[in-house]
Formats: sequence, structure tokens, C-alpha cells
Amino acid sequence: MGDQEVLDLVKELVTRLLNSPPTTPTQNPNCNPSKPDPTQALRYAIRILSSRLTPSISPDEAAMAESIKRRLALQGKSSQALAFADLYAKFASKTGPGSINNKWAVLYLLKVVCEDRKGKDSGCRVGSISGGLPDLGAGRCEENEKEKRGVNHEKEWRSGVVLVSKDSAHRRDLAFREFRGLLKEESGVSEDVLVRNLLYACRGIDGSYMKFDAKVDGYVLPESVKVPRSTRVMVHKLGELGWLFRKVEGYVSGSTRFLGDEVGTVGQAFGAALHDELTEYHKLLAVLNEHAMNPIPFLTDGVSLGNYLSLRRLSVWLVEPLVKMKLMAVMVDSCKVLKGGAMAGAIHMHAQHGDPLVHEFMRRLLRRVCSPLFEMVRSWVLEGELEDRYAEFFIVGQPVNVESLWMEGYKLHTPMLPSFISKSLAQRILRTGKSINFLRVCCEDRGWADAATEATAAAGTTTERGGLGYGETDALELMVVEAAKRVDKHLMEVIYERYKFKEHCLAIKRYLLLGQGDFVQYLMDKVRPELSEPANTISTFKLAGLLETAVRSSNAQYDDRHILDRLRVKMMPHNKGDRGWDVFSLEYEAGVPLNTVFTESVMARYLRIFNFLWKLRRVEHALIGTWKTMKPNCITSHSFTKLQHAVKMRLLSTSRRCQVLWNKMNHFVSNLQYYIMFEVLEVSWSNFSTEMEAAKDLDDLLAAHEKYLHSIVEKSLLGERSKTLYGTLFVLFDLMLRFRSLADRLYERIHELQTRSMASSLPSQQKNAQAKRLTTKSLETGSLVADGKKALTKQTDEILSLMGPELDEIGRKYSILLNGFISELPMQQHIDLKFLLFRLDFTEFYSRSGANL
Amino acid sequence: MDSEAARTARESLELAFHMSNMLDTGLDRQTLSVLIALCDLGLNPESLAAVVKELRSDPPSSSSASAFASSSSNVS
Repeated sequence: MGDQEVLDLVKELVTRLLNSPPTTPTQNPNCNPSKPDPTQALRYAIRILSSRLTPSISPDEAAMAESIKRRLALQGKSSQALAFADLYAKFASKTGPGSINNKWAVLYLLKVVCEDRKGKDSGCRVGSISGGLPDLGAGRCEENEKEKRGVNHEKEWRSGVVLVSKDSAHRRDLAFREFRGLLKEESGVSEDVLVRNLLYACRGIDGSYMKFDAKVDGYVLPESVKVPRSTRVMVHKLGELGWLFRKVEGYVSGSTRFLGDEVGTVGQAFGAALHDELTEYHKLLAVLNEHAMNPIPFLTDGVSLGNYLSLRRLSVWLVEPLVKMKLMAVMVDSCKVLKGGAMAGAIHMHAQHGDPLVHEFMRRLLRRVCSPLFEMVRSWVLEGELEDRYAEFFIVGQPVNVESLWMEGYKLHTPMLPSFISKSLAQRILRTGKSINFLRVCCEDRGWADAATEATAAAGTTTERGGLGYGETDALELMVVEAAKRVDKHLMEVIYERYKFKEHCLAIKRYLLLGQGDFVQYLMDKVRPELSEPANTISTFKLAGLLETAVRSSNAQYDDRHILDRLRVKMMPHNKGDRGWDVFSLEYEAGVPLNTVFTESVMARYLRIFNFLWKLRRVEHALIGTWKTMKPNCITSHSFTKLQHAVKMRLLSTSRRCQVLWNKMNHFVSNLQYYIMFEVLEVSWSNFSTEMEAAKDLDDLLAAHEKYLHSIVEKSLLGERSKTLYGTLFVLFDLMLRFRSLADRLYERIHELQTRSMASSLPSQQKNAQAKRLTTKSLETGSLVADGKKALTKQTDEILSLMGPELDEIGRKYSILLNGFISELPMQQHIDLKFLLFRLDFTEFYSRSGANL
Repeated sequence: MDSEAARTARESLELAFHMSNMLDTGLDRQTLSVLIALCDLGLNPESLAAVVKELRSDPPSSSSASAFASSSSNVS
């Protein structure tokens, strides 16, 4: 201020001010009209000027202009505000020599002067020089200030207003303090209380402010508590953790309370795993709680901002537990109604997640959850034990009798199959356990235990409990595969060696399927007269004796005794009017382990095939018998010499027709027989043999056998779709049998004729000798021995008139049926009957004649 | 001062006078020019405003003036 210029200016200012007319009308009547002393005023002015050298606010020109504008606008003089803005723009643009450099100062000056004037007029608070802090809580700040600073320059109050703004240097700090004070007033609850409440809520406990509202289904701050909106939102967000915790905790405590009754071992494991996770969570919360108690001083100015754990810090800490808790809650929701393998599968689906945190968490959880399951699998596969009290395993056992153990005893229960065990693996597991059980029960074999230990050694795990866990599905698979391999091998060995499966199959083929030709021939011969009787007069015992004889007289006697023991005669339940032929059958008893293969239904099918083959054989046998009578011999040829030519012709033609018909029938039957024998039976058998060699386990064996039987049944026209053909075939057979009886009768009569004519025509001793021999035979024919030619003719006529038309009829029927049969054969699409057709219709005789018909 | 500078100065003063009128400060042109000059020289506008206020109002009693002066002088 030592500048003369400045001093001059100041002097001038003072003068002017003092001389300026008063701008406001003073209402004060005590106004001193005398002019103040200029020198004194000058001194005073200089003092004022020297007291404050630096302004208290930052020289920000634009801000200053803005504030002036705002002030004008607030006063309702918006047009003026705009005008001011305009002026300021112009003012500010004036740069260069002669312009005002310190524009800000000018503006500020104007503003302050204006305010002073306004303030003077209104007569109230003046403390807005520095920008208008509200004086709320002035008292408190006052006290604070007095305490902290111990300066009492605020003693001067003017109408109850604190000139806080005089302390220019601390204005910002003061502003902060006032703001905080404001906040404290606004929020009814302090932050650390809220934090503590939240920590309680995270443990599911109602705090003093945060309560669980059942309507809203969440942790809320009731409306009565005054908190700023942002705090409220944050509290709500973190309250979600409390809600999730409640849900999970509810499930965990519920599952342990109903100890296993509804829940099952897997559910229990799940509950236990969740419980462990919750313990970890509690640990974290305990640590946080401790932090919440310790205040840590705030870094600036020794003012502490509450405790270390603010809401924001808490929210950062709780991010990870929130994620985990969400996972657990989701799983709890989805698994509430499931149990056993289904639960494990559902949890596994949730574990398909990319986030490594989630993945690790789920893996830990799943390992525990699946341990009972894996244990069950292990004990099933290695020991065949099924301990499943709560129906959680995917294999269910049913109590069945011994022979259906394999088929019905154990089944896969797909709802309980967890999704990480594939279906084929499950099938293998099922089969392995089934095999062990089968061996144990049906075969009474103990050798599989070694197989089990070998298997696990090969797979690298132990036979102890808990050797395997989730995530080691490959190891499990390997173990199962090894065990399956070994057990199956063992089973096959047992079946083949101890029980001689193959031999039994062969025996069945030879006896039930009439493979042993000489035996069948003998049996037929012996049994034939018996079986012509009505069914209820036949004794099984006698038939059994005949069977034995047949066996002994054929090559069958060289078979093993225990096989022959199983062969028996069986009489089927018969109705009235049945002949023995209809009810006779052979039976083979398979015995305990083999009757899984040769079950009741399987044996019934064998029986059906046997009946068919037996009938076929019978017809064949009958025709052969007829041939024996029909063959031309001296007796028959001689009979014709005595007769008249016409009669002879007629006789000859009849017998010729008979022979032709016989030929046809024989051709058909023998070809059918060959077809059955070679194309059907032998081929199927060789297929079955190869498959039997290749079979790895009992399932394969069963399938192969099934296929074998099926092919036989279908190919011999016994199947469902060949019913019409089958019917036709049977009618044909009946016709043949009728023919046979007719032919027998015909030739018998011819023989009679012959003997009578021989008796009458043969001279001397020879004749007598013959007659003597013959009379014994023709004794029953009575007194026709000595009849003459006329009698012969008459008889011939008789014979022919009886037999001729019948023969014709049979012949005709036969041709029609046969044609029908042959034409239908190609219609059978599902089996390959071309060999049969080929044999029957080699020269296409039938097809052509059929076409002509 | 060249005419350019003089013109600028005059215009600036005009603008400032207009602004001051808008704000209703009650300052006339000359006083304003003196004040502007003082501000340009670096004086604190607050103190200048205080001077204006003080000297324009009813003449204060010497005691209050002295008290005021003493209080203001305590500023650090």
C-alpha cells in the first residue's frame, strides 16, 4: 500500500463516497445529518483495506458471473439476468490494453456492494458474504468450533447471527461439518447400528431396526426409521442375503430333524454339506462382526467417521457369500422334492457352470452328496449287495422265484438315475450285480469274490468304502467295466462247464426237435399203435417204458445218463375224443440255473415246434407205411389175371390213381421234411452255435437263444403271420392221413380178392399149402373162398364203387389245397421260403397248373 | 494511452456501469471508475466493498468503528 497512486485513488474514493447523496431513504430519524470527518474516514478506510489482503473466495470469474445471474433470476428479474449475461459476455470479451484485467474483482465488488445494500435494507442476516451457507445447527457447530478452536472472535453477534464466514480459511471444513451434522439429523439411525443390524439379519436374526417381514418376505427397515434413500436401498440389497440364509437354514434344519424318514441318505448328505457351508459362512460373519465393533480413526483432521465397517465395505465383503448363498438357495428349491439319484442328477445339472468359484463350490458339494450313491454302486458291483432303505438307488430288486431271477429280479429305475451316469454304464452296472446275485443264488458259486478284488485292483481303486467319489465317473466306469468283464467271464465259465449248457442245448435239439432220426423212428414205430387209442386210455408209464426202449435201441443210448434222465414223456391235458397223437409230447427238464434260459414260455415254444414236427413225422411215417402195402408184388399182380378185362382195367386204373396220388403226397411231405430239417433246423443251429461261442454274458446268450427259437418258429410256418398257411398245412396232413387209411383199405381188399382168386385158381399142393396159409388170414372173410369169377367181379365192383369216388375226392381236394399252399408261399414276405418253394415246385408244375386253374 | 486503449477502457467502464445499475449498487460512474482502478491494482474487492458500505452508511460512531477495526485486524 505504499503506492502513491493507490493512496490517491483511495482518497478520491472516500471523498466521493462521503459526498455522494444517500441512495436509500433512511428511516432512522436519529440519522446524524452532520458530514463525517473525511480524514477519519480515510484512516478508517485504509485500515479496512489493509486488514484483508486476500479474498476469501477463489477468483473464478465465470462462477461469479453465474452467481450474480442466479441471484438476479431468483429475485424474479429474469430479463435482467439475461441482460446481465449479455453484458458480462461483452465485458469479458474486452481484452488488451486499457481493459480491466481483474474482471473478477470488479464483478465480485459489484455483487458484494449489491448484497450489502440489500442486506442493509432488509436489516437481517448479513452472513451471506461468502456465499450463503445456511445457519442450521449453528449452535452445535458453534460449540464444536469453540471447543476445537478456542478462538472467540465470534463474540460479536449481530441479531443472533454468527458471522462464521469471517473465518475465511476454514470455510470448506466448516461446510463439511455442517453437512455431516445435517445428515445426522436426517438419519434417525446411525450407520454402525445399521451395519450391526445387517449382520444380524445375515444370520437370520431380527435386529432392532431390521425385521423379517413375512408379508413382503424379506428383511426390511420399517418405514418409521428415517434413513436416506440410498442407505435404504443398500440395506435392502444386503437384506437379500438374510432371506437366502433363512431359506437354506430352514432346509438344513428340516432335513436333520426328519432324520432320514423322508429324505434318504443322499438328502442327508446334501443337508450335511450345506450345513458345513453355512458354518463357513458363520465364521465369516463372526469376523465381520468383530470388525464392526472396532472404530478406526478417519484419516483427516482427527475426526472419526464411525466404525471401520461402513455399509459399503460390508457390501463388498458380502459379495462372495451372496453368490454362494444364492446357489445354495437355488439348489434347495430344486431339490426339495427329489431324493436319491434324482437329487444328485439335479444338483449335477446346476454344476454345469463356467465360473470357477461356482464350479469349485459345486464340486465340493457334489462330492459329498454323491458319496452314498457311489457307495451303493460299489457294493452292488463288487458284492451284489443292494442296501437301499430309502429307494434312492437306480436299481430295484424284487423278490421273485429262482428261475426268473435273471429276467425279473433286478431292474433299472430310471427316475433315480443321476445324469452323470450314462445309460449304458447303468446297464453294465445292473448286469454285473445281477450276475453276482445269479451266481450266488442259482449256481451256488463263490468264485466271483476273487473276480471282484481283481477287478478293483485292475481299476486302481480299493474295495474299501469311499474309494470313489463324484467327478471320478471315469474311474467308476473303469471299475465297473473290469468287474463286469471278470464276473461275466466267470459266469460263462460256470454255465458252460459246470452246467454244460451247450450239451443241453444239443440234447434238446436232438430229442425235442427230432434231430436224432433213428431214435425218432424207433419211437414212432413203438408208440404208434398205442397212440391210436383214445387219449384217456393211454398210460404214461407204458409210454415211458416205450421211450426207454427206443432210446436203448438207437444211438441215443450212448448219450450221457444225466441228459437222458431229463427226457420224459408228457401227456398234455386232453379233451374228450382226442386221440393219443394229439396229446403226446416229449419234455426236457433243464434244471435250476439253466431254466433262466429255458423258461416256461421257452419250453412251451419248444413244445409247439415238437408237436408240429411230430405230426409231420407221423404223416411221413404213414405214407411210408402205405408205400409198403402199395408196392407192386406178385399178389397184386396175380389178382388181375383172373378177372375180366374191363374190371381189371378199372382196378388197374384205380390203383394207378392211388399210386399217383401217393407220389404227390410223398413228394410234398418229404420235401417239406427236408426243408425243415436242413434249411430251418440245421441252419439256425449253426448260427446259434457261433453266437453261443461269441457270447460274453448271459444277456447275450439269452438273446442268441431267443433269436434261434424265433427263426425256427417263423421258418416252419408256425409264426403269427403264417397262420393261414399253417392251417392249410394241417388240412393237408389230415387229408394225407385219410388217404393213407383209404389206400390201406383198398389194398387190403385187393389182397383179399387176390387170396380168394389164388385160392380158387392155384392148383394142387401149392395151392393147398397156400390156401392153408391163406385161410388163416382170410378166415374172417368168410365163405367166399370158393367163389367163382362172378363173385370176384362183384366184389371188385363193390370195392371200386366205394373207394373210387373217395379216392377221386381226396385227390381233388388235395390238388386244390396244394395249389393254394404253393401259391401262398411267395406271399410270406417276412421269411425266406424260396427254398421250400424251390423244392416243392422245381419244375413249376404247380404254378403253371395253378395259373391254368 | 492510445485511442484504442482509451476506447476499450471507456467501453468497459460503460459495461461495468450498466451491470452495476442492474445490480442496483447505487454507485455512480466516477466512484465506480475509482473502484475499478483500485481493483485492478490488486486490492481486495471485499475490503473495498466494506469501505463502500461503511462510508456510505450512516456515519458510524467512532467506538463501533474502532471496535470493528480491531476485530477485523485480528484476521490472520
